[in-house]
Amino acid sequence: MRLLISSLFHRSPFEDLQKHADKVKECTRLFREAVVCHIGQECKRFDLLTEQVARLESEADDIKRNIRNHLPRGILMPVDKFEFFDYLREQDKVLDEVEEALFWLSFRPEGIPAELAADIHDLIEAVIPPIEKLPELVTLAREYFKSRSEKQRTRMKSLIRDIRQHEREADHLERELKFKIFTTIKDALVVYHLVRLVEHIGAIADHAQNASDRMRAMIAT
Amino acid sequence: MNIDVIILSIATLIGLYMAANIGANDLANAMGTAVGSRALTLKQAVIISIIANVLGATLAGGYVTGTISKGIIDPGLLMDAPNNLMLGMFAALIAAGLWVHLATYFGLPVSTTHAIVGAVVGFGIISVGAGAVSWGKIISIALSWVISPVAGALIAGGIYYFLEKRVMAAGDPYAAAVHYAPGMIFFVMLVLILSFIFKGLKNLHLELGFFYTVLLTIPCAALAAMFGRKWVRWQVHVKCELGPNPQGFSPAECLFAQLQVLAACYVAFAHGANDVANAVGPLAAIFSVVETKSVALQVEVPFWMLFIGGIAVGGGLYVFGTRVLETIGKNITEITPIRGFCAQFGAATTILICSRLGLPVSTTHVLVGSVVGVGLMRGIGALDLRILKNIGFSWVVTLPFTMVLAMLIYKVLALFLL
Repeated sequence: MRLLISSLFHRSPFEDLQKHADKVKECTRLFREAVVCHIGQECKRFDLLTEQVARLESEADDIKRNIRNHLPRGILMPVDKFEFFDYLREQDKVLDEVEEALFWLSFRPEGIPAELAADIHDLIEAVIPPIEKLPELVTLAREYFKSRSEKQRTRMKSLIRDIRQHEREADHLERELKFKIFTTIKDALVVYHLVRLVEHIGAIADHAQNASDRMRAMIAT
Repeated sequence: MNIDVIILSIATLIGLYMAANIGANDLANAMGTAVGSRALTLKQAVIISIIANVLGATLAGGYVTGTISKGIIDPGLLMDAPNNLMLGMFAALIAAGLWVHLATYFGLPVSTTHAIVGAVVGFGIISVGAGAVSWGKIISIALSWVISPVAGALIAGGIYYFLEKRVMAAGDPYAAAVHYAPGMIFFVMLVLILSFIFKGLKNLHLELGFFYTVLLTIPCAALAAMFGRKWVRWQVHVKCELGPNPQGFSPAECLFAQLQVLAACYVAFAHGANDVANAVGPLAAIFSVVETKSVALQVEVPFWMLFIGGIAVGGGLYVFGTRVLETIGKNITEITPIRGFCAQFGAATTILICSRLGLPVSTTHVLVGSVVGVGLMRGIGALDLRILKNIGFSWVVTLPFTMVLAMLIYKVLALFLL
């Protein structure tokens, strides 16, 4: 016997969104470890860590596809479906950029020039907090869409502000680092590699902020 | 063995089969949101359903019923052929029972009233002719496919909108819920008492005029609201503050869970009062024909029949509906006590208001509308509107399907027995 009126209730996509956000967060540890390892130049685990991030990215992609494939026309949600998809796309791009940044690192096995190592490290540390806040944002959203509590909404707004602030700091570091690259490195090939690498790292925070902006739109009153 | 005893035994069994199917379909739907929101455990839901349903059937059920349900055909036309009427009621019970069984199997919430009406129409057409059928009543049933869900959606959606703005979005939702609790209990009790008076006590021949009804209802509801406020606060204290609170309810949710238990009791009671008659009405007609060998325009439904009808409906829920409720409880985390309360209270209110206005409504249709109404107010995590197509289809199909099935069954029975 199947469900009666209950068959009207479709499984909420927010549960899978949470799983996706958790995967994104999980990659931050590996990302940090991989970059630190690569900067150290005596790294044997870099390939393994990159592989692990690629695996996480593929798992997150599966979750993303699963969410999209199970939200056909006719499903009514507390939020606009396209805003929801926009959020999901931005959250997914965070992981894509992490993976891309690691690929760019791997393109030049010589490593990062010593005079820039500390700055790259600082940039990594600046882009990680916005990513780490995404699962918390999704958890709060799940509770908010159930309770519609104003208190919950205020907490979400404050978290979104935090993410924006972190992104601004990361942007600032990115600009300073680009300036430093152009002033200290003379080899054009290395400059090109480093600038692209820094852009990919900076884009991680950009996408986290974009995701949080989409969430802000979802809770607009 | 006396042939009458055999006929009555078979009739009783078929009546119980229909009643059990009503329980599995109707009552499972009515209690579904309470189990889904975890306001009630599966066991509690089954026990409450059985008790409230039996009480509804015996205290407020239809003690006197038209020989042929809902005045669809004129029993006067069958005066000379009591056996035809008896066979017709057999055919109607079997046809309606089979359809509801089938609908339950495919997971479609259909109206059991419409199933029995369709079956009676089928029998009427084949035994006395299409001219004997009151087609105006059939049109009013078709109207209920639109009126019931729309009214349910408007009222339940409206209640959800009000609670979202005034309670859930408040800085302290619990304080706001406590503030509005007496008002909500007042309305719950008002709806409850008015339904008892309008739908139930009418059958107990307590003829109260409108003025006296209001005079009796308002103070009772106000008194209940005063005590109810204390009761829910005490329940929140015992269950969510002192108790284990395994559902992880916030205090406001805990309060609504208590209100939802009240609404669930009401829905089960109303169901007993209104829908048990669908199974026992035709059964009473068969008993009357066997006992008097004639056709009466109205028959008395004995207490025992309403009682075992109520038990059979509850039993149907227990036997066939338990798994449905269990699945709802496990799979649907999206129904919160607030949403469940809105859907159930909205449905109960709609049924009362619409019946007072003389609009034909069906419990199941109103419940579906109420759930959709809360969903349209963006109150449900994910609502599958595609299912509505299947549900609407099953509503429209119910009447012609049971009509044709009853005709076939009647023909076959007549071939062997008349």
